[in-house]
Amino acid sequence: MTLTRRLVFGSNPRRTAVRVLVLAAVSFITFKWVLMPIRAEGISMLPTYRSGSLNLVNRLSFTYGKPERGDVIGIRLAGPHVLYVKRIVALPGERFSMIKGQAYINGVPFIETYVRERRQWDIPEVTLTAREYFVIGDNRSMRASDHDFGRVDISRIVGKVVF
Amino acid sequence: MTKTRALAAAGLVAVAGVAFFLWSGSSGDERLIRDQLEALRTEVNSTTTGGFGSVARAANIGSYFTEDVVVDLGESTAPIHGRLTLMGMAERLQPRTAAFRMELDDVGVEIHSAATADVTLTVSFIRQNIPTGEESRDAREFGLGLTKADGTWRIARVTAIDVLR
Repeated sequence: MTLTRRLVFGSNPRRTAVRVLVLAAVSFITFKWVLMPIRAEGISMLPTYRSGSLNLVNRLSFTYGKPERGDVIGIRLAGPHVLYVKRIVALPGERFSMIKGQAYINGVPFIETYVRERRQWDIPEVTLTAREYFVIGDNRSMRASDHDFGRVDISRIVGKVVF
Repeated sequence: MTKTRALAAAGLVAVAGVAFFLWSGSSGDERLIRDQLEALRTEVNSTTTGGFGSVARAANIGSYFTEDVVVDLGESTAPIHGRLTLMGMAERLQPRTAAFRMELDDVGVEIHSAATADVTLTVSFIRQNIPTGEESRDAREFGLGLTKADGTWRIARVTAIDVLR
């Protein structure tokens, strides 16, 4: 066996083939059903996630637990190929509002350490149902009208952005 | 060894058979609808130089919709009624939409009868910033109602679905 062939196929080509197949199967399963790779597009999650950055959504994050405040989550539209990436700021049953850029939960000011610059956004108070979360992007330096935010049903949450 | 190989080959043939069965199962109306949506996407993404080109393109886009189509883009926008209104808008918006590219993802087709079907899909409008080359995507989920007449599926209803309310 030549050196090149040995470097490519290893000393036992059959075993190498099995390893490659197993690795391919594990990668396929992992990236299809567990860690879903996504590419961020847009500026709504700045400065936490830049446009063009490659991230992973853990689809099993909420198998045994519920989403928590501060979690950055993937939200599906018609399917899993295009997702919104937003941060949870209010939980089911809570009241959420924003006055001049300051978030309030149940009427109490909520400190958001991940927000760097903020415009004077005003969001009228909403009361979330038992299945709803209030999500919003980290970039508050843009106009509120250019930013997608609001209540999302738990069934739309695909998983937690972990990287 | 020969027996194992024969079994493996039989397994492969079986998998290919099942795959073909599933693929052919989605044929007929579902495939027609998917082809129709893909053709519409291509038409919207095609560029024209204005004048008659814009008019012809608007007419082509209009041909994918029924005459009494209703387009409901959400609470903040009044619904658009009729193919002619839609064609007029497509023609007027041509200079602006030329800067965008439209993509369709996660297309789900549900056939209700020989002449009615529903589709859910994610529509993305992608705009490229020329100086930086950076792309920005505006994605929304839509529900479509389609009807079949004279062997052609056409969009009779477009409803924007608000994922974030």
